[in-house]
Amino acid sequence: MRGFLKGFAVAAMIGAGGSAAQAETLTVYWNAGHAWDAYQAVIDKFEADNPGWTVQWEKFQWPDMRTKLIADFAVGNTPDLSAEPGGWVQEFAQQGLLKPLDEYVARDGEAMGYPGDWQDFSVNRNMVDGSYYGVQLHLTCATLVYNVDMLKEAGFDAPPKTWEEFRQIAIATTKPGRFGFAPNPVPAYYWPWMFQAGATYFDPEAKQVVFDSPEAAKGLQFIADLIHKDKAAPLPVTGADYEGPQKLFTAGRAAMIITGPWDVTPIRTGNPNLNWAIAPSLTDTAQATLAGGVSMMIPAAARHPDQAWDLLQRFVALETELAASVANGMTMPRKSWAASPEVQADPTLNSFGQCLPYARDITADLRLTGKSARVEELLKSAVDDVVYNNRPAAEVLAQYAAEANKALAE
Amino acid sequence: MLSLNNWRTRQALIAYGLLLPAIAYFATYFFYPIVVELWASFYRGAPLIGEARFAGFDNYVQAITDERVRRALWITLVYAVGTTACTLVVALGLAAILAGPVRANNMIRAIIFFPYIISFVIVALMWKSLLDPYTGILNSILFMFGLEGQNWLGTPQTALPTMIAITVWKDVGYAMLIYVAAIQGVPQTLYEAASLDGATRRQAFFSITLPLLAPTTLFLAVISMISHLQDLSAPYLLTNGGPANATRLFSLHVYEAAFVELNIGYASALSFLMFIVILAITFIQFRFLGRKVSYA
Repeated sequence: MRGFLKGFAVAAMIGAGGSAAQAETLTVYWNAGHAWDAYQAVIDKFEADNPGWTVQWEKFQWPDMRTKLIADFAVGNTPDLSAEPGGWVQEFAQQGLLKPLDEYVARDGEAMGYPGDWQDFSVNRNMVDGSYYGVQLHLTCATLVYNVDMLKEAGFDAPPKTWEEFRQIAIATTKPGRFGFAPNPVPAYYWPWMFQAGATYFDPEAKQVVFDSPEAAKGLQFIADLIHKDKAAPLPVTGADYEGPQKLFTAGRAAMIITGPWDVTPIRTGNPNLNWAIAPSLTDTAQATLAGGVSMMIPAAARHPDQAWDLLQRFVALETELAASVANGMTMPRKSWAASPEVQADPTLNSFGQCLPYARDITADLRLTGKSARVEELLKSAVDDVVYNNRPAAEVLAQYAAEANKALAE
Repeated sequence: MLSLNNWRTRQALIAYGLLLPAIAYFATYFFYPIVVELWASFYRGAPLIGEARFAGFDNYVQAITDERVRRALWITLVYAVGTTACTLVVALGLAAILAGPVRANNMIRAIIFFPYIISFVIVALMWKSLLDPYTGILNSILFMFGLEGQNWLGTPQTALPTMIAITVWKDVGYAMLIYVAAIQGVPQTLYEAASLDGATRRQAFFSITLPLLAPTTLFLAVISMISHLQDLSAPYLLTNGGPANATRLFSLHVYEAAFVELNIGYASALSFLMFIVILAITFIQFRFLGRKVSYA
C-alpha cells in the first residue's frame, strides 16, 4: 500500500511538474508565398529566446486564409498573429475583431521606430478612429516588367513611357503563341490604367464611387481594345490567383506584364535565364500605380497577444526587412530600409522602390465605409464584363457606379 | 401504461440508448448549426462574428429580388441538369458495354472509376493545366491539326460547358458502376423470352433493361442533382465564378457573400432559399421519374 502511495505521489509530482513546464503555442497565419528563410530565422530566434514556446506557422493563400479567419472569429478560436493582404485590418477592426495596438505602440514604438520610420500612408491604412490596429510588413507597388530581349528583337531599346508607346510595343512584340502584354483577371491590376488616365475611385466627402468618369472608362477601354481590337493581349486566364501573367512572362510567352515585387522570386526561379527588367509606371495624364502590401494584426480573441506583439516587432525589425527583401525582391515600409545602402545597390528593389512615391492606396477611404468588399465584388463583375464580354467600358462603369452607390447608401 | 417490466418499453429504451450517440452527433453537428444559420438569416451584417441588427425577412426579400441571385440560380440549374443528364447518359452507355463479356473488363471499369476517388483539387489542377490556352496539351493537339485553340475556361461561351464536361469526367465512373450492378441484376430469363419472341438486342435494351433500371436512374438522378446544386469546388477551383460570372454557381455566390463581403446574415438567407429549391427539385424528380419506377 505504501509503495502504491509513493508511486502515486511521484506520478502526481511529475504531472504537476509537467504542467508547470507545459509547452505554449503561438499560432501565426501567413501567406504561403511569403514563407521566406528570413522569417523562419525570426521564428527560430523567438523560440530560442522563449523556452517552452513553439510558433505554429500556418501558411495559406489569401482567400483560404480569409475563410479560415472568419470561421475562427465566429467560434472565438483565432490565431495570435495574422498577416493580411491589405484592407482586412480596417474591415475587421470596425467589427471589433482586432486588438488595438495603442498600448504596445506607446510602450515600444520609439524603440522600434514605429510609426516615425514607416512610410506615412502605410501607417494610416492600418488605423481606425485614431487607433493602431495593424503594422505594415511589406509595402509594394505594381509597375511594368518587360522582357528585354523581346523588345530589342522588335526594335525597341527602351521600355515604353506613354500609353501609345506601350501599345506600339505590345503590337510589335506579338507573334503566334506570344503576346505583347498579358493582363491579369484581378480588377486591382486595371487601376493603374484608370489612375494614369486621371480617374478617381472614391469620393470620401460624398461617400460615393466616382468610377463612372470618362477617365476611368478610357483606362479600362484601353486594355479591352488591346485584347479585342489590337489582338496584342490574351483574355486573362480565370481563377482565384493572380499568377497567370507571371507564368506567361516567365515562360517567355508575354513581353510585358504589370506586377510587383511578389513576382520577383517566381520569375527568378522559374526561368533564371530570362533577360528581364523593371520600368517606371506609364504616364497618360499622370504617372500612377497602385500601392499594396501586407500588414500584421492581432485578433481581439488572441490567447497570447503580448507574445504576438513581441514576434511582430521581430518581423518588422530593419535587419529582418533587409534580409527578406534582398533575398526575395520584396519592398518594405521603413524609410530607413529605403535609404539603406543594400537597397540602393539592388537594381530590382531600387526600381520597385522608385514607384512607391506615386503609388496610391486606392481603397483606403472606401474601406472605412465597411462596405468595400461588396463594392469591389461589383467592380470585379464590371471589369469582367468589359474585358471578357467586350462591352463598352463607359456603359458598364456607369452601371457599376450606380449599383455600388446604392450598396453604399444602404 | 409505461412500465420497465414491459418488454416493449425495455426494448424501446435500449433502442433509444443505442441511438443516443448518433442523435447527439447529428444534433450537435447538423441540427444546431442549421438552427444558428436560420437565426442568422434574420440579421443584417455579420451576426456570429461582428455587428448585426435584426432585419426580419429583409434578407429573404433582397435575395428574391436580386438579379445576381436569379442569374446564379439559373446558371446552377443549367450546370446541375447538364452534369446529371450527361453523367447518366454516358454512364449508362458505358455500363451497357461493360456489363457484358468484355476483355479486361475490370481494369477498364477501374480506370473509369478512378477519377471519382480523386480530390477535386487535383482534378482542377490537372484540367487547368491540360486546358491552359497557351501551354495546355489540348490546344497543342488542335494546333497540330491546324485548328484554332480555345480559351476553354476563359471565355464566357465555353467556360460552363467545359466545367460540366470536367465534372462529368469525374463523376461518370461512380454512376457507371451502379448501373453495371443494376444491369447484372436483371433476370436473364427476360432476355431469353424476348429473344424467343424475336426481339433485337436494341429492342431488348430499350424494352427490358432501361425500364428495369428506372429505380437506379431515379437514385442517381436525385443524388447527382442534390450534389451539383450545392457544388462549390468546381467553380471555386476552376474559374472562381468567371469569366464575367459565367460560372458563378449559387454556392459560390453564397460563399462570397459570407466570406468575401462579410454579409453573413444575407448568406444564411441565401442558403435557406437554396435548401427550399433543392427540396422542390427533389420532390419534382420523385414525382415525375418516380412514376416510371418499377421495383418488381
